[in-house]
Amino acid sequence: MRVAASAAKRVVADARRDAAALPAAVRRQLAWKLCLLPSLAVLGAVTVAPAVYLLVTSLTPLDLTRPDTARDFTRPLVNYRLLLDDDRFWNSVWVQIKLSAATVGLQLAGGFALALLLNVRSGFLEACRTVFLIPMVLPPIVVAILWKVLYTPDISPVHWAFAAAGFPIPALITDPNLALPAIVIADVWEWLPFTMLMVLAALQMMPDEPVEAARIDGASAWQVTRHVVVPYLRPTLLVAGLFRLIDSIKAFPLIFVLTDGGPGTVTEVTNYYAFRQAFNFSYLGFSSAITVVMVAAVFALSWWLIRVIGAGADIE
Amino acid sequence: MSERSRSATGSTGASAHPPGRSERWGAWGAISGPPTPPSRRPAARRGRRQRFLAHLLAVVLLLLVSAPFLWLLGMSLKSNADIFAMPPRLLFRPTAEHYVAVWHSEFPRALWNSTVVSVLTTGLAMLIGVPGAFALSRGGVRATGRISLWILATRMAPPIAFTLPFFLIYRHVGLLDTRTGLVLIYLTFNLSLVVWMMRSFFDATARSLDEAAWIDGAGIWDTFLRINLPLAAPGLAATAVFCFLFSWNDFFFALILTRTRAVTAPVAVVNFLNYEGWEWGKIAAAGTMVMLPVLVFSVLVRRYLVRGLTAGAIKG
Repeated sequence: MRVAASAAKRVVADARRDAAALPAAVRRQLAWKLCLLPSLAVLGAVTVAPAVYLLVTSLTPLDLTRPDTARDFTRPLVNYRLLLDDDRFWNSVWVQIKLSAATVGLQLAGGFALALLLNVRSGFLEACRTVFLIPMVLPPIVVAILWKVLYTPDISPVHWAFAAAGFPIPALITDPNLALPAIVIADVWEWLPFTMLMVLAALQMMPDEPVEAARIDGASAWQVTRHVVVPYLRPTLLVAGLFRLIDSIKAFPLIFVLTDGGPGTVTEVTNYYAFRQAFNFSYLGFSSAITVVMVAAVFALSWWLIRVIGAGADIE
Repeated sequence: MSERSRSATGSTGASAHPPGRSERWGAWGAISGPPTPPSRRPAARRGRRQRFLAHLLAVVLLLLVSAPFLWLLGMSLKSNADIFAMPPRLLFRPTAEHYVAVWHSEFPRALWNSTVVSVLTTGLAMLIGVPGAFALSRGGVRATGRISLWILATRMAPPIAFTLPFFLIYRHVGLLDTRTGLVLIYLTFNLSLVVWMMRSFFDATARSLDEAAWIDGAGIWDTFLRINLPLAAPGLAATAVFCFLFSWNDFFFALILTRTRAVTAPVAVVNFLNYEGWEWGKIAAAGTMVMLPVLVFSVLVRRYLVRGLTAGAIKG
């Protein structure tokens, strides 16, 4: 770090000598640009360049087993045309919608309700907060393994407890009807604390006056929540929801470890389908096209959410 | 606050609403109040009930959150017979056999790979990103809004969007299955994280100090190294820990870009799941070793956790 810092210092010093005649403000402007340049250059190299490469790859029928396909631009839109008629792709989109709606909805509603109930100041609750942070900082792969243990009847204390109570439950992750709900439960366990803590943090910064005023004006608890607290929390809920939505589209380790997209394709979300096309079947061109569509959808969705729902929220 | 509510608060007087009220009972205590201005005693009783409910709920949540990973921890110390024992054993004779077995496998090398890659990518991202963040915070760069949008976009894109092009490029330049390759791809998320988080930390340090230093003839680098960097030290530490955690936790990039030599710990854990049959003891032991450093580090940065997890969307 010191080497690079002194090198950078030297660069700035050189620039300063060259620009000795310039006024201080101009020299400073130059220094700011020198500070910013490495970040932008590297960020561009690791994000923009791959994005362009992805787009180009999506226009070829690239198949790793046939190297000649890498520069075949004869039918640039073939992947996208195939995609339109690909039932498995549309199924993956539908699975994604179900998964995202269920997880984001449950996490927002649950996080909001729990935060309202926990909004009490006490040392004990402060201490709890650190524990509530654990699921979301655990390596996602460890979370997936935890739930693999809980969902495996041979060794699962949960399966045993239900059986002992007289309600034996089937193995969730191998049941076509229950596999997706099983993933939803695990995801909610992992991320509900996140929305809860975000809402709680916002609640504790909420000024008392509007609530007091509404109460004195005769508003019921429900009315106060609906008309004072919810509008106040809207930006927070939006940010939390947006983050959970984006992450739910990235969902990977849970599905990889718990169900591998199965049984059949009932838990195969779009991200997972793209992964399979690329790294199980080595159709990288087709997978790139899926990914391009997915990225475009994520951006469009986020943009729409920020514009339509979040007008006035403190989002950049 | 409206004219009417102000007069209403005034007329009920401060005795009904001592200033410390919400300090002790929180906003929900005020929300759930009856429509008429309450006398002090029912409010106090309600406050106690609210506190009791909140604590009860917190204990339930505490169990739900911590039971799964404590179970994994316990499993890693059980003999195979105890793991499969039904009813599940809460009390058992602990054994280190799985840790010993894991230690004599390939796993320590994977742990070492994870450590090296995470430390290097953190250092690199900090070195490049911190000056950039400082320039964004202080330099009055005109494109700040566009740059932050770009950073947000990289946060949104699903990892597979970077993985596909990086995979193809790495195949050509021989960076597949190398630690260097991982260090570079981790910059896609770490660099934007550093720029974003450090910008908000720099924003929080006083500008007047650097202006005073400039007037005394100090250059930007002197000001930066001697004033701003020391002032932002807690932020630097928190940001570095975040970079480390995100790199350590990564599963997807490492799964695809490594095979044998550069395999990181999360991928190695899954290899126990796939290739060695269902060796739950080893899986639990390896999983515990992956999650322990994360638990330690996240306790260190718990104050900044929500901020780090939402980097890119919320100002400050």
